Amino acid sequence: MKSVSSDRIEEALIALLFGLMPLLTFANVVARYGFNSNILWSVELTVFLFAWMVLLGASYEVKKNSHLGVDMLINMLSPGSRRLLGLVSVTICLGFSFLMLKGSWDYWANFANLPATEGRWFPLGFEDQFRVQGWYEVDDIPMPAMLGWLAEIFNDGAEYEKIPRLLPYFVLPLSMALLLFRFAQAGWALWNGRIDRIVASHEMPEAATEIVD
Amino acid sequence: MEAVLLFAMVIGLLVIGVPIAVTLGMSSVLFLLWFSESSLASVALTLFSAFEGHFTLLAIPFFVLASCFMTTGSVAQRIIRFSIACVGHLPGGLAIAGVFACMMFAALSGSSPATVVAIGSIVISGMRKVGYSRDFAAGVICNAGTLGILIPPSIVMVVYAASVDVSVGRMFLGGVIPGILAGLMLMATIYLLAKLRNLPKGEWQGWREIVISARGAAWGLFLIGIILGGIYGGVFTPTEAAAVAAVYAFFVATFVHRDIGPLAVEGRRFIKKPYVLLTAFFHPDTQRTLLKAGRLTTTLLFVIANALILKHVLTDEQIPQQITAAILAAGLGPVAFLIAVNIMLLIGGQFMEPSGLLVIVAPLVFPIAIELGIDPIHLGIIMVVNMEIGMITPPVGLNLFVTSAIANMPMMQVVQAALPFLGVLVIFLVIVTYIPALSTFLPTAVMGPEIITR
Repeated sequence: MKSVSSDRIEEALIALLFGLMPLLTFANVVARYGFNSNILWSVELTVFLFAWMVLLGASYEVKKNSHLGVDMLINMLSPGSRRLLGLVSVTICLGFSFLMLKGSWDYWANFANLPATEGRWFPLGFEDQFRVQGWYEVDDIPMPAMLGWLAEIFNDGAEYEKIPRLLPYFVLPLSMALLLFRFAQAGWALWNGRIDRIVASHEMPEAATEIVD
Repeated sequence: MEAVLLFAMVIGLLVIGVPIAVTLGMSSVLFLLWFSESSLASVALTLFSAFEGHFTLLAIPFFVLASCFMTTGSVAQRIIRFSIACVGHLPGGLAIAGVFACMMFAALSGSSPATVVAIGSIVISGMRKVGYSRDFAAGVICNAGTLGILIPPSIVMVVYAASVDVSVGRMFLGGVIPGILAGLMLMATIYLLAKLRNLPKGEWQGWREIVISARGAAWGLFLIGIILGGIYGGVFTPTEAAAVAAVYAFFVATFVHRDIGPLAVEGRRFIKKPYVLLTAFFHPDTQRTLLKAGRLTTTLLFVIANALILKHVLTDEQIPQQITAAILAAGLGPVAFLIAVNIMLLIGGQFMEPSGLLVIVAPLVFPIAIELGIDPIHLGIIMVVNMEIGMITPPVGLNLFVTSAIANMPMMQVVQAALPFLGVLVIFLVIVTYIPALSTFLPTAVMGPEIITR
């Protein structure tokens, strides 16, 4: 697995998020048996790290072309029709990321005191009136002091006891926007003939060779 | 009728080469926008709650990480040495030892392809050196590797438990007897073949070698004790057990066996500069293993998360209830029903990634099974065995891909090589299907009778 410098940020982020998860859970076990106490927020934080890793990782896997899929049919086709089906597939992926980006924005926006979009399929402008939900907090994770400035922006200056929900949920619009971007790149690569499919190739699967090295 | 459209859409998109995760997600989104009142925002919420609402699923990344640390290090090698010391002198000894090693590694790792890679990359070349054909070696390991998901811990069992709400602990126990049985059946087949074809056998190296090799493998094998002892001793939840396993595997690979990290280079010199111990957490080897495990987890979980969106759609539209009613009205008995489930899963398992398939199929057949009086654990084990078979049948068989990569032979040749032993697994599936006690005896004995809520 050679790292290209442009991959470093994503790779370091995945490794960091993943590294913290078992340590937190492990620390909680140690706290329970070693110190007879409990890190109350470790479960919730671990789950959020998990969601962040997988959702952000999904766009990285598009970049690396290693999402699982069935390539039986496209292997039997001529390069021309393969390219055509590839373009159809990538269009569907773009549609999916776009719809999910709209859905994610709509879900997240009110938590950040921002307007959601109107419209069922396509965003048809922003809603005029909505209830601000910036005050909404998570269940357990206490607010670190260094994030205190968030209260000014999202909570009329009233301090948060727990971190606001807008933080963990922010991964939704962020990851879906990245996904849209990576699929657009993949579509461009398909159009130029640099790749011929958007799923991991099974004849010499990258995933398999990577496990081996 | 709408349900038929939904499934047709899933199959259509899969076949033209759309990634599985997007196929499942897009079909659900389109279906919801067309036929229901739900908004896109609610789909986004469902996607996020795939993680937020399923603490059980968190066990998956941890088991993946643990087995990545085990594979990077020399644990597999030590297990193989121990295994050869135990059974290597039998006819077909190295092949039998390969199966035995797969069984032991399966008890450390929750994934089949990982088991194939860990054991296969060493054993297959070893077998060829002493005179086995490449086909035979690849066929044995490709099949024995499937035990990775039957012998606990198992990622597929975690997925099943999460999607139908049964206890992970029970599922793990349910896999113990069938896992050992399947391993013994494979070994017996090899033994018979070895007698018939006069396959090579190794030397008996004496008890001393067994003791020495056992001591070498002990650090790795102790993980079995941590996982199972921890869960059934009530020390931790399965998810915590998985996290402890991951940390333990990191610890063993870095500090005990010193296969990766600072001590792999520094050796005993670290006493002079003890601070290098701290760098273990940020060492490039550690980062690389984390990234590898992270990527495996990501591809797997992105499929599962989208499958959970589809599951959400199915439950919203009451499709499981409709199917249950239709099946019960048709007067299908338990036996015919289980055969139908087997056939459906065998076909589905050829095209889909096992965990994603389980998330979708399990909620569909689970209510029917409960109505027909089939034990949830028994049903789960049947499903896992089906997934095992799916992993060694084309076109989408993960074990076939990794075997072809590590044995350096074309896919179709691996398919042929795996075929004779595939027969053994099919017979095993029939046995597991008709003898529920194999799956249910141990969970009931250890954790008491199951309370089935309808």
